[in-house]
Amino acid sequence: MKLKRFLLRYYPPGIVLEYQRRNGDLETKSIDLLNLTPETDVEVLINQIVFEEPLISENKKDTLRGMIYKLMEKIDNKDSQRFYLFKILRAHILPLTNCAFNKSGSKFITGSYDRTCRVWDTLSGEELLTLDGHKNVVYAIAFNNPFGDKIVTGSFDKTARLWDANTGQCLHTLKGHHTEIVCVAFNIQGTHVATGSMDNTAKLWDVDTGQQIASLEGHSAEIVSLNFNTDGDKILTGSFDNTAKVWEVRSGQCLHTLAGHRGEISSTQFDFTGDYCITGSIDRTCKLWDVNNGQCMETLRGHTDEVLDVCFNTTGNRLVTASADCTARVYNVMTGACISILIGHEGEISKVQFSPNGYKIITASSDRTCRLWSVETGECLQVLEGHSDEIFSCAFNYEGDTVITGSKDNTCRIWKDNFFTPAEEEDQYED
Amino acid sequence: MGLLSILKKMKKEEREARILVLGLDNAGKTTILKKLSEEDITHIMPTQGFNIKSLVQDGFKLNVWDIGGQKAIRPYWSNYFENTDALVYVIDSSDRRRLEESGHELSELLNEDKLGGIPMLVYANKQDLMHATPADEISEVLGLQGIQDRVWQIQACSAKTGDGLQEGMEWLVQVAKKD
Repeated sequence: MKLKRFLLRYYPPGIVLEYQRRNGDLETKSIDLLNLTPETDVEVLINQIVFEEPLISENKKDTLRGMIYKLMEKIDNKDSQRFYLFKILRAHILPLTNCAFNKSGSKFITGSYDRTCRVWDTLSGEELLTLDGHKNVVYAIAFNNPFGDKIVTGSFDKTARLWDANTGQCLHTLKGHHTEIVCVAFNIQGTHVATGSMDNTAKLWDVDTGQQIASLEGHSAEIVSLNFNTDGDKILTGSFDNTAKVWEVRSGQCLHTLAGHRGEISSTQFDFTGDYCITGSIDRTCKLWDVNNGQCMETLRGHTDEVLDVCFNTTGNRLVTASADCTARVYNVMTGACISILIGHEGEISKVQFSPNGYKIITASSDRTCRLWSVETGECLQVLEGHSDEIFSCAFNYEGDTVITGSKDNTCRIWKDNFFTPAEEEDQYED
Repeated sequence: MGLLSILKKMKKEEREARILVLGLDNAGKTTILKKLSEEDITHIMPTQGFNIKSLVQDGFKLNVWDIGGQKAIRPYWSNYFENTDALVYVIDSSDRRRLEESGHELSELLNEDKLGGIPMLVYANKQDLMHATPADEISEVLGLQGIQDRVWQIQACSAKTGDGLQEGMEWLVQVAKKD
């Protein structure tokens, strides 16, 4: 085996090794540095990597050092970071539903009640494409990140569509669901797309052919949340039947039913490793589960009203829950301890996300504002004001220097920070 | 509210009914809804999308969807047809000039398969205004008498004063319960 080159992965921090097998096949494996902090002893870490990883020899230490410093720079917290309104986008004539960035953050997409999905240029705020064809609300949308050359849209018209993100051409219409499609996801490998519907099923589709591969049947109520794990071999679904299920992609079989909540599931997510997952529920709690045996490891209580969204940070050591009680709560995943309570919103919080470096959280609320918070102290750092109706969705780009917000007021707003520079190309270290 | 609550309101529940409120722009749909839920009606802006309110009437929960009525967004009314249990159509009785337009939109709605056979309440709103057309005359102009395929009722009302609103809702719950 011969090492060909290194690739850096900023969030969560990691070094990807591209190597060649004897038979000539190129393969990759990653060294995950999930515990990297700006205080990490770099020399100790380098020695450990060289010791444990046969592909990396002593003479690669300098390259390794350079990469680790770069990763540390990326996760460094910028205390003086502030976001300001960059653009208001008014192309939709009805309320927005969801919004999402491509990996580099150069483009983003918005779905709307006006039955379109629009593709936007983040830098200029220009509308690049209108994806037109659905006959009802475009509710769920996603890019096939990290590639970013395809988009999937899920609609209340019972179909999902696959689109070319560069030309706007509709590649496939995915037909088979009996009612509204409300969640969609690509696997990270970009080969499969999954759709979840109010018809109680999730379906798995081949991206190239648009053919249905499997129908995941077993939930007894609407599926409202759906995720792939990082390896792309499992799917997690959350349902109004009070359970979540873990499915095997290869066979379409249900591996575990995560039962225990006493109310509908509102949101689900895998952590980066895929060993754990979380579920948020109308029963006011969030549960942490062991994906491998389906056991509940922790029930996180504290909210006084429905939990509406849950999210891990990129490394998986923190999670945040957003609630109709107008607060969000940050928990240490290892201990289950509540680290901070984010208090300040005057309406329910329906969406929450960590910044890629994990220092900040953004919340979207029915009080028409988004807020940015310090994860460790719970302090509100900034209020993003301006929308004239409730905010349904928000997202950080991968660099963490741009935020988009989608509202019931028919607009999408782009917010940029004071450090903003156009996105860099991915770092590569040729060997 | 939030997107999740919208999904929750879309599903069918026992002892709940989904009510769709339509009508031309400026008919007073949002004002009626706010008045019914005892909210302030002094600053109401044209609805650009939709509003959802839950009203409880006689132990029955009404999830009321109030949809913007401007011409450009009327083609999207069908986004909201699925699972509708009853239709409320609101008319500005003081706007004689647009009565025909209102009647035209209504007849289109009555031909929609997804709204077929469901009960309809027509609110003849703004009766507090001096030159408002009386409800029976509106009924005549719109040809409501000819409707055979559903139960319907016309109710004179004023969203401003609240007169007639309650009577309309009571009728609606009574027919929705029979389903």
